[in-house]
Parts: sequence; structure tokens; C-alpha cells
Amino acid sequence: MAVTFYLMAVLLLLSAVAVITFKNPIYSALALVFNLFVVAGLFATLDAHFIAAVQVVVYAGAIMVLVMFVLMLLSAKLEKASPFSPLYFGAALICGLAFAVTLGLEFDSGFNSAPPASDLQGTVAAVGKVLYSRYVFPFEAASLLLMAAIAGAVVLARRRYRTKEL
Amino acid sequence: MVPITHYLILALLMFSIGVVGVIVRRNAIVVFMCIELMLNSVNLTFVAFSKQWGNLDGQIAVFFVMVVAAAEAAIGLAIILSVFRAGQSIETSDAAELKF
Amino acid sequence: MNQAAISATIWPIAFFPLLGALLAYVLGRKERDWAGIIATAASALSFLWVVKLVWALPEAHYFEDQLFQWISLADLKVDFTFRVDQLSAVMCMVVTGVGTLIHLYSTAYMHEDEGRHRFFAYLNLFMFSMLLLVLGGNLMVLFIGWEGVGLCSYLLIGFWFKNLAYAAAGRKAFVVNRIGDAGFLLGIFLLLHLVGTTDFVALQPAIMSGNVALGTDFYTLVALCLFVGACGKSAQIPLFVWLPDAMAGPTPVSALIHAATMVTAGVYMLARMGFLFVLAPAALAVVLVVAVATAFVAATTALTQYDIKKVLAYSTVSQLGFMFMAAAAGAFWVAIFHVVTHAFFKACLFLGAGSVIHGCHHEQDMRHMGGLYKKMPITCITYGVSVLAIAGIFFFSGYQSKHAILGALEHWHNPHLKEWIEYILILVKFTAFLTAFYMTRSFVMTFLGEYRGHAHPHESPWPMTVPLIVLAVLGAFGGLALSGSLGFSLEHYLAALNFGAAAEHHHESIAAALINSWTGLLGVGLAFVMYTQLKELPGMFLRLVPPLSKLLSGKYYFDELYGAIIVRPLEGLAAFLWKVVDQGMIDGMVNGTAAFVDATGELRRITQTGQLRYYALMLFGATVFFIIFYYVL
Repeated sequence: MAVTFYLMAVLLLLSAVAVITFKNPIYSALALVFNLFVVAGLFATLDAHFIAAVQVVVYAGAIMVLVMFVLMLLSAKLEKASPFSPLYFGAALICGLAFAVTLGLEFDSGFNSAPPASDLQGTVAAVGKVLYSRYVFPFEAASLLLMAAIAGAVVLARRRYRTKEL
Repeated sequence: MVPITHYLILALLMFSIGVVGVIVRRNAIVVFMCIELMLNSVNLTFVAFSKQWGNLDGQIAVFFVMVVAAAEAAIGLAIILSVFRAGQSIETSDAAELKF
Repeated sequence: MNQAAISATIWPIAFFPLLGALLAYVLGRKERDWAGIIATAASALSFLWVVKLVWALPEAHYFEDQLFQWISLADLKVDFTFRVDQLSAVMCMVVTGVGTLIHLYSTAYMHEDEGRHRFFAYLNLFMFSMLLLVLGGNLMVLFIGWEGVGLCSYLLIGFWFKNLAYAAAGRKAFVVNRIGDAGFLLGIFLLLHLVGTTDFVALQPAIMSGNVALGTDFYTLVALCLFVGACGKSAQIPLFVWLPDAMAGPTPVSALIHAATMVTAGVYMLARMGFLFVLAPAALAVVLVVAVATAFVAATTALTQYDIKKVLAYSTVSQLGFMFMAAAAGAFWVAIFHVVTHAFFKACLFLGAGSVIHGCHHEQDMRHMGGLYKKMPITCITYGVSVLAIAGIFFFSGYQSKHAILGALEHWHNPHLKEWIEYILILVKFTAFLTAFYMTRSFVMTFLGEYRGHAHPHESPWPMTVPLIVLAVLGAFGGLALSGSLGFSLEHYLAALNFGAAAEHHHESIAAALINSWTGLLGVGLAFVMYTQLKELPGMFLRLVPPLSKLLSGKYYFDELYGAIIVRPLEGLAAFLWKVVDQGMIDGMVNGTAAFVDATGELRRITQTGQLRYYALMLFGATVFFIIFYYVL
């Protein structure tokens, strides 16, 4: 079990670094898909089976396909390569490291490092029961949010008939 | 079993990589993907805590984060498309028209 | 006022002109000629209502009309009350009677003016305010009317506001009146504070019982405050400078407001508050000095004026001085008597001047007139009668009132100025002589000799000549009729105004009366001779004493004096407040704030790169900073 975790941890970090380092956004997207699959595996190690499945279907499937579509749509015109900016890179690295280190220091003092004792199983049945009882109202609200997002996306992405050229 | 701290540190590292990506990259879609990285690292902590305390609420939270992420993807990509149509570029550094 | 109240309907007297003002303006906008008819009708209705009430007014009674409670503040209760007692009755008769005649006159005088709907609305509004003033049952209501007539006066002086000098004259009248009003208000507040009421019926016993804590000093103080107000409204030294300039208004306005009615408001107020003034002999002495000085200064100034309206204006100031002399002597009924006779003959003079100006196509300079008796016989005769009246020649009305004034001064029983009264009397008689002189001069220069102008004078139409004739008849016989010869004695009628002063009855023969009018006869005769036969004489006189002539034609340099000691420093102060305080400090603070924001914004602008990643960096950098700050440090 522990071996699986550490293996996945290494893959996760590698793929995450790949996302931000590949010059070509298509590669980045593929690395992210891989990354999301690994996250789904990590969910599985935590007995969150339902969430792991949704992760694959919604994230790796739906959202990333959408991203790929847009990338493909625009990629022909993406000729300007992003110049590397050492200033921003250095600043970002320091910022990220400081972020990691400072929060990591907190973990040392604040959390029990013992393995989790619970035998909680995130099955479809268990999650569904909670989702449709205590969280039924937020669930319905979420459907409204998606509805609004669909309408918004349609309005924003619609091709406008321009009467005059800018 | 792996202690929760390891999951948390892993999520923290992934989050930091996402932060660096957001700052360094200029392609709007890559920035968008980096934000997905950050969201996922947070999801990882939710699920880890859920396991730790034997409470399903964390997993429900992840579910809603995904809903929001899906909505965000739809709207965000539509915005990127509009910006591209207006300026023929998806570089964030080119979208600085409103700066005085 | 130890009289009994009878309730009656009084409000229509004031209401008709108010309604008339509204209708004249609204309907007159469509059809200009209606305005004059409406306004004249409103004024006439008001006059008829006054006649009806006065006819029914029994002796030793007054009518009362309590409309509503106006102010109710703790102990302060002010009712909106109208009263018609004998004094109000006389004033109302004059205001509405002369007012109606002048309205009629104006329909012809203003018949070509584009703004005549405005003119008649103002004129009726003035009537309303003036009636409020004389009908008001307490000082507060009186004060509304007081301010209202001031406003109308301002509006009408500046009626031709496109001429900037006229507009400035209106403003001057308004401002000078405000100075007087400040004093008047102080007097009202003092009364309210120490007596607790301004209602005349309640005030009189309260004052006369002498229960007021401060005694004579209080009476003197209040009386002087009120007199300051009267000085402003009735154009006495030092606040008389606005009246000559007020001639900028249309001539009927000068006749109605600046001769017959409004300027006598101060005299009316003094008579109304007479019970207070008789208890303050020191204040009365001040009134006398001011009145005599005003009468003399104005009369001498009038000697050298060439503008016919200016002559009449200074003459009005001078005659107002005579009225105040009578009031100062405690003979308030005499003051009102002179108000009435003066209203008749001075209105007639002004309307006559208006007729001349109208006939000569807006020529006001008497040097360009002359010989008009052939062209304008009615105007000439009525003007001449009024000149004789104002000169104080028996039997014309001016004689009776002026004689009564001199009589009152001869019986001066005030401890102050007792030893000076002889000299003052000589000065007053000399002023009366001057009055006759300059009025005759204006008559001769206007109507006799050869015509010196270039226009083609013509007699005025009937709406202008009828009021002239009526007023001339009143000016000729009014005095005699009011002094008891026809069974009606104003002195007796206004007996309530005799505060302890014994009523004196002096019957005199016609011969004695003629002898008593020697000052007037001398003035008229001398002027007649000087300006018809010995035309070089006046110029020689003036050349003999150049400083005097300069002083007179410069109108004693009052305007220049006030300009130097009051207006200029105030303008300097205003300029200082404007340039330094307002533009420098206040604007500086406001603009400085903006400039500060601007400068700091300029600094902050450096941080706004428009780069998304820069903002992200700042966001996370700040997060790191706060984590370190709160958890690590």
C-alpha cells in the first residue's frame, strides 16, 4: 500500500512539473490528464471510490476534452512562443518554495502522523445517501450553477455578426 | 497505511507547483490548467481528511468543487475564446488593454 | 386702544389684490391688456370693501378678523390677525384709493410695455403687502407686509432690469432697506423677549402700565430700534440714499410706492407704536433731529436737481421728514394727516411728471421742457394745484397738515431739546420756504416759458388725466375736509392716537391763515420771479458760493461718503474672503486633497502593470508574507 502511494506521489509531482514546463500547451494538457488520473488513484487509496470515478469521468474526461478542443481550435494561430522570463521564474520559485516550506512546518506541529483509523468507504451508496439528504439543497443549487454556466458559455462564445469592422 | 501528513505534504507540493505555473506561464489555457492542478491538490486534502476523521462531508465538498470546476471550465474557456477573437492572442500579457 | 372689538370679515381687502396679482400674471401672459384691467379691478374691489367696512366702523371700536394661529412655540403665540381701527382705516383708504387711481393711470402709461403683465402683478402684490402691513394686528404680521412691500419695491425699481443702472438701483434700495429691517427686527425681538407679545391690543396696556423691568431705558432702546426700521423704509438720514435712485422704476411706481404709500409705512409704524414712543422722550428727540436734518438736506438738494423725478424724490424725502417731526412732537394724528394730504398731492405731482414724461417721449430733464401749459393743459393745472398744496398755501391741503405740524412743534413738551426748539422751528420754516421754492421752480421750468425740447408733446389719454384730476381735487380740498370744516375731523377720528396730549382747537380766520402761509407764498413768489423774470439770478447765486453749489449738486456726497466708509471696505473684505479665503484656503484644501490623491495614485500606478502573472505573484507573495508573519514569526 505504502509503495503504491509513494510511486503515485512521484508520478504526480513529475506530471505536475511537466504541466508547467512543457512549451507546447498540448503536451501540458496531456501531462495534466495523466496527473488527474494519478489523483484519481490517490483517491482510490483513500477508499473514496465514487470520487475517484467521478474524477476520471468529469475531470480527465469532460473538462480536459473541452480544454483540448479549445487548444486545437486555437493552436494553429499560436505561433508566438512564450519567452522565458528568469525574473518571474525566480520569483515564482521562491514564492512556491516559501509557500511549501512554511505550510509544511505547520504540519509538523499540528497533526497526528498516525495512519487513519477509520474504515470509511466512499462508495456510491454512502456518498449518494449524504448527497441526497443533507446536501440536497446545495446539490440543486449546483445544477442551477451549471445551467447558468452553460448559458454564459453560449452567450460568450457565440460568434457575433459584426456590422462594422474594428 | 500512509499517515495523512504525507498526503498533505504531497498536496502542498502540488499546490506550490500550480502556483509557480500560474505565475510563470503566459498562455491563458496553461494558466487555466495550473489552476486545475491547485484545485486538485485541495481536493486531495479534502479526501485525506475525510478518511482521517471518518466523515463523508469532505468527499461531498470535492464533488461540489468539481461542479464549480466544470462551470469554470465552460465559462473560462468561453472567455478565452472571446479574448482571442478580440485580440488574436491568448497571451495574458497581451490582455492589458484596460491598464491606464 | 381702550376700544371694543367687533369681529368682521376683513381678509377680502388683502385677498383681492393677491388674487389679482396671480390672475394678472397668469392671464396677462396670454393677453397683455387683460393684466391692467384685472389689477385695476382687484384694487377697486379692495377699495370698495374698505369703504364698506369704514362706513360701518363705529366710534371707539375696531374690527377684528382672526384668521389662524400662525406661530405656536412654547410661550410664544402669534395669531394671524387683521384689525381695522381708525388708524388702519385711514391708511387703507389712502392705499386702496390712491392705489386704484394709480392702477388706472398705469393701464395707459404702460400700454406699450412688453412686460406689463409682470408690472401689474407686482403692483397688485405690492397692494397686498401694503394692506397686510396696515391691517396686521401685531408687529409680526406687520413685518411680513413690511418685507413684502420692500420686495415689491425692489422688483418694481428694477422693473426695466435690462438697464443695469436700474437693476443696481433696485438692489441698492433692497440692501439699504435690509439695514433698517435689521433694527426693526431687533426691536420686535426685544419686545417679544421682555413683554412677550407684539399684539398691539395686548402691547399697549402692557407698555403703558410700566411694568417692564428695564423702564425708560427699555422704551428708549426699543423705540430707537423701531425707528431704525422706519428710517430705512421711510428714507430718513442716514438711510435715505435709496429713494432718489428708486426713481429708476416706472413713474406710477414712484407715485404709488415711493411717494404715497410704502415710504409712509415708517410713519404709520411710529403712529401705531406711539404709545411706546411717548414713553421714550429721548428717542423722540432723536427722531426730531433726524427728521429736521432730513427735511433740510433733502430740500436743499432738490434746489439744484434738473431731473423732474429727482426733484420730486428729494421733495418726498423732505416731506417724510415733516411727518416724522410731527410724530416726534407726539402728535401722531398730525403725522398721519400729513401722510394723507401728502399722498394726494405727491401722487398727483408724480403722475403729472409721468404724464409729462409720457408726453415728451421719455424726456426727464427739465432743461428740455418748458412751455408745456399749451400742449398739456390738464396736466399743467393739476400739477400747479399740487405745487400750491405742497407749498403749504391756504386753503390747499398742504397748508392744514403743515400748519398742524408747526403747531405741534410749537407745543414741544419734551424735556430734551427744549431750549433748542426755537431754532429748530426757524429751520423748519426755512425748509418749508425751500419746499415752496423748488416746487415752483420745477413747475416753471416744466410748464412755463418756451419749449426747449425736440419731441412733440401731447396731452395724455383719459385714464391718465382722470386720476390727475381726482387727485388734484383731493389735494386742493382734502386738507380742509379732514380738518373739521365739513363736519369730519381727522384729529377727532384718530383720538386714540392722542396719548395724554391735550387736543387743541385752534380756529383761525382766513386772513390769519393766509398770513400763516407766508413761507409758502414767499417761496412760490420768489421762485416765480427768479425763474420767469430774472433768469440769471439763480446761476449768479450758485456762482457766488461755489463750494455750496458743488455740495448741493453733489447731493451732499452721501453716496460717495457711504461708498468710502462702508461699501469700499465691505467690497475689500468680500474680495479678501473670495480671493484669499475661498479661492486660496478652501479651494486650496479641496484641490490639495485631489492633488494628494492624484500624486499617490501616480505612485500606486507603478504597481498596476496589467500583467495577470504579476497580480498572481503579488497575491501569493502576500499570502506567504502573512503566513510567515502570523505563524512563523
